[in-house]
Amino acid sequence: MTGTAYSFAWAAVWQGLPYLLEGAGLTILISLASMALALAVGTLMAALSQAPGRVLPRLVRAYVEVFRNTPLLIQIFIVYFGLPQIGLKLSPFSSGMWALVLYTAAYNTEILRAGLEAVPKGQHEAVRSTGLTEFQAMRYVIVPQALRISLPALGNNLVSLMKNSSLVSVIGMVELMFVANDISFNNFRSFEIYGAAAVLYVALVLLLTRALHVTERRLALAR
Amino acid sequence: MRLRSGGVLGLGIATLVVALGAAGWAEAQSGLEAAKKRGRLVAGVKTDFPPFGYVDSGGKNLGFDVDVAHLFARALFNDENAVELVAVTSGNRIPFLQSGKIDIIIATVTVTDERKQVVEFSDPYFLSGSLLLVPKASTAKGLEDMAGKTVAVIQGAIQDKDVEQLQPKANRIKFGKVSEAVLAVKTGRAEAYVHDDIVVLTLAKENPDLKAVGKPFIPRPYGIAVRKGDMEFITWVNAELARMKKDGTYDRLWKKYFADVEANLVKP
Repeated sequence: MTGTAYSFAWAAVWQGLPYLLEGAGLTILISLASMALALAVGTLMAALSQAPGRVLPRLVRAYVEVFRNTPLLIQIFIVYFGLPQIGLKLSPFSSGMWALVLYTAAYNTEILRAGLEAVPKGQHEAVRSTGLTEFQAMRYVIVPQALRISLPALGNNLVSLMKNSSLVSVIGMVELMFVANDISFNNFRSFEIYGAAAVLYVALVLLLTRALHVTERRLALAR
Repeated sequence: MRLRSGGVLGLGIATLVVALGAAGWAEAQSGLEAAKKRGRLVAGVKTDFPPFGYVDSGGKNLGFDVDVAHLFARALFNDENAVELVAVTSGNRIPFLQSGKIDIIIATVTVTDERKQVVEFSDPYFLSGSLLLVPKASTAKGLEDMAGKTVAVIQGAIQDKDVEQLQPKANRIKFGKVSEAVLAVKTGRAEAYVHDDIVVLTLAKENPDLKAVGKPFIPRPYGIAVRKGDMEFITWVNAELARMKKDGTYDRLWKKYFADVEANLVKP
């Protein structure tokens, strides 16, 4: 079989770049918002998983299993198309963001729970015997250690979140993946445009991992 | 640390370019020859575009374009089942053809000047304008009522640009699939969905809560598409289309799929 040489059309990349960067802007926005909320929700859930009694830990368990064991795409469609049918209509941005948050927070919950449980039980009793309240013991002794243990796994999860944000393109959110589709469906330079989008994703994720490294080092210094 | 992360970025990009570059060879062989060698035609058809390409509840591909694909297989191999149907969307059908995933697009491709630059079109086989699909209760009469409203279109379909030009005050929301755009209208995510008249009419017929409004605007022809420069294949396709028109096959297909909405269609 013969082949014709392919010529890379740089012009298509330069032409598409402003629109791609605009898309990257929304990718950053929705990713950062989702990260903050997913950390908050994950922390809350992990704390509830340690609550006394059986009801709360079981509810947390159920939440984790439901959101971890269903495809993110289905969750996005349920929030965006499904909830309006039962009367809850979130904006497209909120729909995408909350789907990302609930999905990512399910993993965060498990990571933080494992972190909490990795701190030896004896410490807990020892701290309480010094007169600190339950909340103070958690706040000043247990949680900082748990966080330090959990941080690398949390970081991985946030990297996944940033890449997973490309899925909200299916509900018309004009983020990086959507823009790449939009351009390549019209100029038919799939290789150039998806390639450029991939490079932008790599750059975004490298920025994120760098920020995470800095955070990790700061926490390690505070030891 | 800084050096290292810069190095990682460079290495990453280099890997990507090499990995993608290896795939950067277009197939020069005629799609017709490729199909003959394989003993089977690989055709891109729609699965969410009644009555041209859709899937019944049993997962079977049906529709005008699907029938054409089977007829082509019969003409080529004397076996109408010697065809592999690949589901495509308005957005991905041309990339699928260019990358050699399919031999031919029989999927409601509207002939436009931009697309003529990248694929080889057959003679027209259908003429389609555009209509709006709106909820039954809607008072909208056409695009003129869509200023400030959210209008769903399909990414990569011509209506994306048509709506931008004809109703710049509309807020377009773009989906990848017809089913998603319909759902957007049903769930109030969009006030209207603009697409080819034939699919809008058919969807309105199938969904009692929706209706078709507007006068078909900017009628354009549909063409079957093969890879750019593949004159051997497109000549064969045109001869087949001419034969189908002459021997009554085309009229039979028209009646089979368009009879109940034909009053609203633009006759080719």
